[in-house]
Amino acid sequence: MYNRILIPTDGSTVAEAAVDHAVDLAEKYDAEVHALFVADVDAVTYSLGTEQVDRIRQGNFQGMTDLREDAEEATGYVRGQAEPLGLSVVERHAGGRPHAVIADYAADNDIDLVVMGSHGRSGVRRALLGSVTERTLRSTHVPVLVVDYERAEE
Amino acid sequence: MSLAVTVLQQELLPEGLNISFKLLPGIIVVTMMLSFLGVGYFYKVADTENMWVAGRSIGNVENGMAIGANWMSAASYLGMAALIALSGVYGLAYVVGWTTGYFILLIFLAAQMRRFGKYTAPDFVGDRFNSDAARALAAVTTFLIGFVYALGQARGMGLVGMYILGDITAVLPIPGVSAYQAMMILFMVVTIGYLALSGMLGATKNMVLQFVILIGAFLIGLLVTGWSAGFSTVLPQLEYGALISELSAEFSAPFAGGSYYLWVATCFSLVFGTCGLPHVLVRFYTVQNERVARWSCTWGLFFICLLYLSAPAFAAFGTALYGSEIGAVYGDPGMSSAAGDVIVVLASQLAGLPTWLVGLVAAGGIAAAVATVSGLFIAASSAISHDIYANIINEDATQRQQVLVGRLSIVAIGLLTIVFALDPQQPIAALVGFAFSLAAIVLFPMFFLGLWWENANRQGALAGMVSGLVLWFIPMLNEGNFGIINGGDGWGIEIIATWMPAVGSALVATPLVFLVVIVVSAVTDEPPVDTKMMVRQCHSPDPMPKDKTAADVVAEKTDNVPPADD
Repeated sequence: MYNRILIPTDGSTVAEAAVDHAVDLAEKYDAEVHALFVADVDAVTYSLGTEQVDRIRQGNFQGMTDLREDAEEATGYVRGQAEPLGLSVVERHAGGRPHAVIADYAADNDIDLVVMGSHGRSGVRRALLGSVTERTLRSTHVPVLVVDYERAEE
Repeated sequence: MSLAVTVLQQELLPEGLNISFKLLPGIIVVTMMLSFLGVGYFYKVADTENMWVAGRSIGNVENGMAIGANWMSAASYLGMAALIALSGVYGLAYVVGWTTGYFILLIFLAAQMRRFGKYTAPDFVGDRFNSDAARALAAVTTFLIGFVYALGQARGMGLVGMYILGDITAVLPIPGVSAYQAMMILFMVVTIGYLALSGMLGATKNMVLQFVILIGAFLIGLLVTGWSAGFSTVLPQLEYGALISELSAEFSAPFAGGSYYLWVATCFSLVFGTCGLPHVLVRFYTVQNERVARWSCTWGLFFICLLYLSAPAFAAFGTALYGSEIGAVYGDPGMSSAAGDVIVVLASQLAGLPTWLVGLVAAGGIAAAVATVSGLFIAASSAISHDIYANIINEDATQRQQVLVGRLSIVAIGLLTIVFALDPQQPIAALVGFAFSLAAIVLFPMFFLGLWWENANRQGALAGMVSGLVLWFIPMLNEGNFGIINGGDGWGIEIIATWMPAVGSALVATPLVFLVVIVVSAVTDEPPVDTKMMVRQCHSPDPMPKDKTAADVVAEKTDNVPPADD
C-alpha cells in the first residue's frame, strides 16, 4: 500500500516525534523513506538577510554553513532511525515555502503517504506562527498522517 | 552643535518649495513603489527542490549596483548637496569620506570577510571572539546604527514627499501633526509595511532597480537643470566651476562653515564608518569568491562616484537659483536646513523644469531612502532574530518563530524611527553622520583587529565595544540629540563639543577603542589556536573553495577529517 513515505522535517522535536510513526509504518510496508528539509525563504530573509536568499537561488547552499548543518542534522536524524531497520532512505534539502515544496515533492516523487508532526497550537499563537502542517493538508492530495506533539511537562 | 548650519526647526517647512498635490509626480511615485513590489514578487525565490543545484550567480556589476543602492541613501541624494549648499567646503568632507572608505574596505576587509564566511556582522564578531556577549553587543550596535541612520531617511522622505503630495493635513486634519510629520509617517508606514510583509524589497534585483531609478533621476535632473538655467551644457560636473566666483564666499571659501578640525573629524568618521556598516559588509559574504568581492567593491565605488561627483554641481546650481529667486542664502534668515535638505528638488523646480521632471527627481530621493531603509532594517531584523533570538535566547527556535521575531523587530525599529523623526534636530547628512560615528567606533575596530590581529581576544573585544558605545553616547547626549537631556539642549560642555563633535567623534574614539582592545588583549590570555588559525586562513595565499569558510578549512586541518561531501 505504502511504497514511499515522506517525512518533512525541520529538525525540531515536533518533527522528530513523527519519525517513529513513519519509520514503524515504513518497516511494516517495506517502504522507501524520504526525508525532506525545507529552508523557509521567509525565515532566511528575516534572520540571515535578503542577500542569503540570493545565495539559495544561486545554489550556493554549500557555502551556507549553519543552514547546511541544520539541514544535514534534520534529515540525518531520519536516516539514523530508519537505516538500522534495513530501510532505504532518500535525503533531500530544498528551499522555498515549506507547504508548497512538500506538496510538490510528494506529487513529483510518487509519495504515498506524508507523515509529519504538528505543534497543536491554537488561538493567538497559531494565528501568529501559522501551521505548516495545516497548509500542507490543504495543498496536497496525498494522504497525510499528522502526529500531534504534546509536551511531557504540560 | 558647532556647525554653522544650526537652525531652529519647530515647523519643518522648506521655503520656496511648491507644496501642493501634483498628479503626475504622484503617479510616478506610486508606480515606482508598485514596481518594487512587482520585482519582489516576480523574482521571489521559486521553490527549489534541490538546494545543491547551482543557479545563476550574481555578477560584479549587478552586485556593485546593489551596493550602490544599499549605500546611497537620502543622505547622499539629498543631504550631501544640502550640506554643500549650506556649509560650502565643509560638505566636501562627505564626498571625500564616503568614497575613501571604500578603499579601506577594498584593501583590508572585503575579501577577508568573504573568506571568513559568516552571515551577519554580529555572527562574525560572535564567532571570531567566541563570545555570545560580544555577539549580543554587536547585534545591539547593528540595531542602533539602523535606527539612527533611518532617522535621516525618514526626514528626507517627509520633506520630499511634501513636494509630491502636498500638505495632506489640509485635507485630512490630524491635530498636532504638521505637514512634514504626516508625510514622513505616511512614507515610513508604507516602507515598513513592505518590509514586514515581504522582506524582498532588499533583494538584489530590487536594489538594482532602485539604483537605476535614483541615479537616472539625479543625473537627468542635474543635466536639465543646468541646461535650462543656462549654467551648463553637457558636463555640469565640470562646468559648475564657472559659477564658483559668482557664489557667495560662504559657498566657496574654504572652512567658512566649519573649522579645519571639524572637517577632518567628520571625514575620519565617515571613512571608517563606511567600513563598519553592517548592511554594506553583508553583501561581501554572499558573493561567489574573493575575486568577485573585490570587483563588486570596485564597481560599487564607481556607481557611487557617479552621484558624488554630481552632487556639488547640483548644490552650486541650487545655491545660485535660491539666491536669485528667493533671497540671500547665507546670513539672517538665510536658507533653512529644511530647504537645504530638498535643494536638489528645489533647484529643479526653480530652474522651471516641468512638474513631472521635478517629480522624477523627487521620486529618485524616495527610491534612495527606501533602498537604504530596507537594507538597514533587514540587517537590524537579522541582528535580533538570528543573532539574539535564535543564537542566544532560544536555540531551538523554529523557522516560523524566526520569521515572527524578524517581522516584529522591523515594526519595532520602524515605530522607534517614526517617533524620533517627528522632530529631527539635525539635517539629514548630520543624522546619518552619527550612525557612521557609531559604526566607526564600535564595529570597525572589531572587524579590523578581528581579521588582522590573531591575538585580539574575547576580553579585548568586550572591553572595546563597551567603551566604544559609551564614547559614542557622550557627544551625542552632550549635543542634545534624541532630546532626552535638558529637553533637547544636552549638557552643552564646550570642550567636548569642540574636540569631540558627535558627527566626527570617531577621530578621538576609534583610536581609543583600538588601544583598549590591544591593551586588554595583551594582558589577558591569548585566544584559542583554532581562532588564530581561522584568522590566518583569511589571509592564506592558497585559493579557497567557494563552498568553504575559514572555520571549515581549520577544522579539516586540525582533525584531519576528510571534507564532508554531500
